Amino acid sequence: MADFEPKIVAFVCNWCTYAGADLTGTSRIKYATNVRIIRFPCTGRIDYMLLLKAFDEGADGIIVSGCHPNDCHYTSGNFHARRRWIMFRELCDFVGIDINRVLFSWVSAAEGSKWADVVNTTVTRIRELGPYTEYQKVAKHPIREVTNG
Amino acid sequence: MSKIGVFVCHCGENISATVDCAKVAETAAGYDGVVYSIDYKYMCSDPGQSLIKSAIIEKGLTGVVVASCSPRMHEPTFRKACAEAGLNPYMCEMANLREHCSWVHEKGDATTEKAIDLVRILVEKVKKNHSLNAIKVPVTKTALVIGGGIAGIQASLDIANSGHKVILIERDPSIGGHMSQLSETFPTLDCSQCILTPRMVEVAQHENITLYTYAELESLEGFVGNFKAKIRRKSKSLDEKICTGCGQCTTKCPVKKIPSEFNEGLGKRTAIYVPFPQAVPNKPVIDRVNCTYYIKGKCKVCEIVCPTKAIRFDQEDTIVEAEVGAIVVATGFTVKQPDFFPEYGFGKYPDVITGLQFERLASASGPTLGEIRRPSDGKVPEKIVFIACAGSRDPAKGIPYCSKICCMYIAKHAMLYQHKVHGGKSYVFYMDIRAGGKMYEEFVRRAIEDDGVNYIRGRVSRIYEKNGKLIVKGADTLLGAMPVDIDADMVVLATAGIANEGSEELAQKLHTSYDSYHFFSEAHPKLKPVETNTAGIFLAGACQSPKDIPESVAMASGAAVKVACLFSQDELTREPLIAVVNRQAAPVFSSCVGCFLCVSACPYQAIEKEEIKNRTGEVIKTIAKVNPGLCQGCGTCVAFCRTKSIDIQGYTHEEMYSEVMALLNEY
Amino acid sequence: MDELRKRAKELLESKTISVVIGYEEGTCNRTRALFVEKPEEASKLIFDSRCVLNLATYITKQEVKAKGKMAIAATIPVMRSIIQLAYEFQVSDKNLLVLGITPESNLMEFKDLLEVETYIHKFEIEINASYREKLDKLAGMTQTERWKFWIDELSPCFKCYACRAACPMCYCHRCTVDFNQPQWIPVPSHELGNLEWHIMRAVHLMGRCIDCDGCANACPLGIPINLLNKRLLEDAKRHFGGYQPVLKGDHLMSTFKPDDKENFIR
Ligand SMILES: Cc1cc2nc3c(=O)[nH]c(=O)nc-3n(C[C@H](O)[C@H](O)[C@H](O)COP(=O)(O)OP(=O)(O)OC[C@H]3O[C@@H](n4cnc5c(N)ncnc54)[C@H](O)[C@@H]3O)c2cc1C
Ligand code: SF4
Ligand code: SF4
Repeated sequence: MADFEPKIVAFVCNWCTYAGADLTGTSRIKYATNVRIIRFPCTGRIDYMLLLKAFDEGADGIIVSGCHPNDCHYTSGNFHARRRWIMFRELCDFVGIDINRVLFSWVSAAEGSKWADVVNTTVTRIRELGPYTEYQKVAKHPIREVTNG
Repeated sequence: MSKIGVFVCHCGENISATVDCAKVAETAAGYDGVVYSIDYKYMCSDPGQSLIKSAIIEKGLTGVVVASCSPRMHEPTFRKACAEAGLNPYMCEMANLREHCSWVHEKGDATTEKAIDLVRILVEKVKKNHSLNAIKVPVTKTALVIGGGIAGIQASLDIANSGHKVILIERDPSIGGHMSQLSETFPTLDCSQCILTPRMVEVAQHENITLYTYAELESLEGFVGNFKAKIRRKSKSLDEKICTGCGQCTTKCPVKKIPSEFNEGLGKRTAIYVPFPQAVPNKPVIDRVNCTYYIKGKCKVCEIVCPTKAIRFDQEDTIVEAEVGAIVVATGFTVKQPDFFPEYGFGKYPDVITGLQFERLASASGPTLGEIRRPSDGKVPEKIVFIACAGSRDPAKGIPYCSKICCMYIAKHAMLYQHKVHGGKSYVFYMDIRAGGKMYEEFVRRAIEDDGVNYIRGRVSRIYEKNGKLIVKGADTLLGAMPVDIDADMVVLATAGIANEGSEELAQKLHTSYDSYHFFSEAHPKLKPVETNTAGIFLAGACQSPKDIPESVAMASGAAVKVACLFSQDELTREPLIAVVNRQAAPVFSSCVGCFLCVSACPYQAIEKEEIKNRTGEVIKTIAKVNPGLCQGCGTCVAFCRTKSIDIQGYTHEEMYSEVMALLNEY
Repeated sequence: MDELRKRAKELLESKTISVVIGYEEGTCNRTRALFVEKPEEASKLIFDSRCVLNLATYITKQEVKAKGKMAIAATIPVMRSIIQLAYEFQVSDKNLLVLGITPESNLMEFKDLLEVETYIHKFEIEINASYREKLDKLAGMTQTERWKFWIDELSPCFKCYACRAACPMCYCHRCTVDFNQPQWIPVPSHELGNLEWHIMRAVHLMGRCIDCDGCANACPLGIPINLLNKRLLEDAKRHFGGYQPVLKGDHLMSTFKPDDKENFIR
């Protein structure tokens, strides 16, 4: 599995983590190339269905990140998100989705180095876990290939 | 059919040094719907923008992806350029190739591949984007200023003088803040009261300013230009309209031993009191906690002596509702009580005092009428020690940051002492002298050179009492950490400046953010120092971080200009990135089923009920409706709604879904 | 259940109620829903231990609502559903009268929904021993074993939506599974689409499911989908102290506490 390059999608909020990742850039802190960021206004907007879709489409790992509690630009979007994550994570675990592949974090606009760290940790973890074939095998069901063109 | 243009920027070499920009542009050219793709040295430059504009016109682009720096940097620039060429600005998206790619990765295929992915995500998104129009909202041209220290005063006066109405609320019975407690001020040593009092009076008399003292913000709703504030006016137990401020009551009140807040506990006050002689308004309030009548049900001396019968024992708090368009927060700071330093003996030895207490001793209107006398026995101290950084720059016991004002006020204190006590000896223990500022370093040098203040670089480890003296055990690090013991008569601690009590709750009421030290956060540390992340709410003075008077005043004027700018328009334009509930054809009308579970999920109470009626006016369905004025566009409701009936413009289900799809499915 | 028949007849005769929703004898020794609109038909009403169908499913249906004020024979799970539906503004005292049936099969008419709420709060929602055992067994499996378990269980599902039809909480006019822009859930029935469909349903029922087992009973293939909801019920209890349907107050998933505890966010 030496040449396995994990595909990792990051769902982040605009105000803290996206800005924090900008700071990682301005500070020229280097990190692994495997992550692609998708920007949301707030963690409160991050739909659990999108996490499932990401795994469906072949992501090996997912990062979900936003403002620390009490720091939400919208004051409480992240609190709502946290509650959902707590429950959704339990559900995923119960149906046998590998929750080690989803990393939740709070990265503020000031935590450029933390963002690099979150990415690197996730990449290392996913490298260890290997590709998410368990899920992908099911996702690539023949009927789907036919109907979805 | 979409016609997308992709514009890849080299950002000089910032991007092109690690990303193969030409390859990115080339690859993008092959995507479905992309009709134009090019790389260029500086997209944000004039020629770069022209490139985009002419492509929009010539190729009839329906969407643009600029692959350059962070959208947090240049999104407005490029959206504006698109608008100028006739493309709806919300049909322009940015792929962050710099902060999220070239700057954080080494040169290589993987980096270019990531850049390509980032572009593809946004190409797919922009295909699903919709044209959006900015939202216009009216502006209420009244400002609310919270906190009546020098910053709040300055902001109020500046706004009022630009012709707009101001409501100033102050928690204490008088405006003035910390500045009113100061004796003289660095670096000029002019009397604080003398320069402050005229402004306080101006506030009270200004026709555009409504002053509510003894008042606090109860709650805030609404949004920029259209806030609704509820202000709690705490009961003063007094009819202010009748009271003439004659002072009969305060002289006759039998409860005389309450430590005066204004004098930092060094003087006493009565239960009905005016905090200090120059207070504005100069009318008393009853401190109900200490008043005999409220405790025991008997007394009412003040009511008896009041010549105008202004005392109102049964007065209740009142809530004032006000519509305001902008808010300036100027709630200042407070000083950390030094009791967390037990080795300095604060609280144990009465002659170990804080800097603010020293201000009161040195003040001509203070408890000693400006003579420096020890609190314990009233003697003039012959030897005095000042300790800098009592809590500041001390992550272990105090706060990690520098309180900024202490170095200067210590020099001032030592100087005032030397001026007042001839032949007295003063010592300053310091870590570093931070005297950046106009005439500041000179001021400190004056203290050392002209007034003979002894500056010792080192920390004090302990203070204890021996034979009526305070033994200060320190070390002089400039003399190889040689131990220094000083038998002082009085010790002054320059205690750390910290966020005001309740600043956290206030920030939460205002829906604005605060930093880890609980100071209010500015929107940008360099470029938006007076703005907050909440549109229409600005900061002034020490509520943002400890600062001295000139800085507080400058910031207040800055905030006032921001407010005046806002009020110079009759209508505001807001970004249309807000939530909407879908509407469909009859008989469904909307997929919203009116469960209204989203209502409590919205942090801004933006979701209302809307009745759909038939021709005869009968309600056929009740569904959710997002108030476009209140919605801030967080999208919490969107992820929450089961039926996906709410969507957020600019981050729609379709847009976000296509981003995920595009990312993971290679072409 | 003479009491119920008598009361139903009275209500219909006096025209205070236009339709009484209850159970009647069906085929193959099963019972089915009955909508009584004529007083003389009240005699068809029955009630016994076979009557487990959650009748609350019907009170949100346009066709039933259109008949006028409804009365419903409601066991405790049905009453719980009713309260949750009232919380979600789907029914109210104006259009519903609850003819409660106690665990001892006695009739207990409620003046209003407030009384129903008070009554149901006397009983905790509890997961029975056999389900407990199943949940524990699943919890004891490895992640991969659980994955396999669910993929196996769900692969025969052919998305007949009987579960959705039987659920009183699935009253949406357009279910997200039918949403095609974007197509969140793939149309054809295969493991993944089935799994996503059931995960989605479970999420939608967080804090709303009252554990009536209607979905699992309705499934023609006997897939134990109610295990998902039961597990979430437990999780809600563990993390947030659980929930009970209420007429007013906080809903589990649209409120939060600033100190909600978790141990997985970095
Ligand atoms: C010992 C000492 C000596 C100093 N000497 C000097 C000096 O010589 N020269 C100099 O330039 N600076 C000096 N300073 C600094 C100076 O005090 C500050 O720069 C200045 O007071 C800041 O003004 P402000 O209006 O921001 O805050 P503050 O003066 O703290 O005023 C804030 C006001 O807001 C009110 N308030 C707080 N919370 C609320 C609320 N929730 N609702 C309504 N009202 C509220 C408070 O009651 C107060 O009136 C000194 C400071 C100290 C501690
Ligand atoms: S928008 Fe969604 S959550 Fe809100 S009332 Fe409608 S269906 Fe319920
Ligand atoms: S997006 Fe939804 S939850 Fe957020 S402010 Fe707007 S209406 Fe409220």
